[in-house]
Amino acid sequence: MTTRVLAAEETTNFLLPNATIFVEFVLFLIVLFVLYRYVVPPLSRALDERQAMVRKQVQDKELATRTLQQARERYEAELAEARAEAASIRDAARADAARVRAELREQADREVERIQSEGGKQLADAHTETTRRLREDVGGLSTRLAERIIGEPVTEDGRSTVDRFLAEVEQAPAGGGGS
Amino acid sequence: MTNDAVQKAGVLAAEEITPGEHWTGEFLGFTLNLDTIIATAIAGAILCALGIYMARGVTRGRPTKLQVVFEALTAWVQGQVRDGMGLRAPSGVVSLAITLFAFILICNLLAALPSEHVLPPPTADVNLAYPMMLLVIVWVQVAGIRARGAKKHFGHLTEPYAFLAPSEIITQYFARPVSLSLRLWGNIFAGGIMVSIIGLLPAYILWAPNAAWKLFDIFIGVIQALIFTLLTVIYFSEAVGSDEEAAAH
Repeated sequence: MTTRVLAAEETTNFLLPNATIFVEFVLFLIVLFVLYRYVVPPLSRALDERQAMVRKQVQDKELATRTLQQARERYEAELAEARAEAASIRDAARADAARVRAELREQADREVERIQSEGGKQLADAHTETTRRLREDVGGLSTRLAERIIGEPVTEDGRSTVDRFLAEVEQAPAGGGGS
Repeated sequence: MTNDAVQKAGVLAAEEITPGEHWTGEFLGFTLNLDTIIATAIAGAILCALGIYMARGVTRGRPTKLQVVFEALTAWVQGQVRDGMGLRAPSGVVSLAITLFAFILICNLLAALPSEHVLPPPTADVNLAYPMMLLVIVWVQVAGIRARGAKKHFGHLTEPYAFLAPSEIITQYFARPVSLSLRLWGNIFAGGIMVSIIGLLPAYILWAPNAAWKLFDIFIGVIQALIFTLLTVIYFSEAVGSDEEAAAH
């Protein structure tokens, strides 16, 4: 049945189609239908899903970058805040130290003053006591010494002269009296 | 092998490859080019089998190499359609363009096989080039009418000047269809003629130009599939109009 003949003999011109065109048309439509129905939809779906996935990954990346940036900014801000707080604490500590130092110095000054005052008082007491003893001892000694020198007892006038001298010594200032 | 034998072999090869001649059969009184039909069926079966095999294992994760090929084609077509028509693209255009490219490519690549004397590439027969062209042209007209209305679609022929309408009509309804189909057919048919001419060379030298030509034939096959598909999308874009044009009116 199958024969091999020149197309030119069948159609006189190979630019002119024969009945094969209908078969070819149907065959092409079948291929088109198969691709349209069974191949392109799942392929397009997969492409769309992949694009959506890529888009989501890009969005996630941008979000992560933004979050990282925010965290870095927050870290920087908190670091700066902590530094400022540390500086303020340091300043406060310095101020406290200065205040404590001033208080302690004041307290020490007061203590020195008190000790000096007590020392002065003790000195004054010692002066008074010494003067009192001197009056008792020096008066008697000088009277006795005078009695030995003159060879007779000293009168009441002589005693009063010694007492007056001792009274003057007692009334003299402590510094001047000491020398 | 003597020189006579080599010459006979060369002549035999040249005689076996006869472009324009077909294995024919009769069916209900009609002549059918059986080699074209069988080659078309084989190309269609290869495409459908690859497509369905790929679609069964399609994944949004890591795709197979086959899926990558189909995805690259789909993404390219979708990009062309989106650039030309935007959201106004008629449904099915992407599928049509993908089918045209893949089908024509496989048909053309049949020419690269050393079976040209038995099964020539079906695109070297106008019986395949014409129906594809007719489908595209009719579909373009239907899409244009549906998108813009018949009056505007055909009224577009008189723009910008009415006296240029005959030229436009010839371009739209004669030059384009003929060039679309015969460009494909002519390139592939010429490939067959080239092989038959190369077949006239002595057998000891024949292999070199033959191999070179087969490689070039593959390139031509890819280019022609690309051109047919690209022109189809362009024709649709012209008929349907882009989103920008629609917004401007």
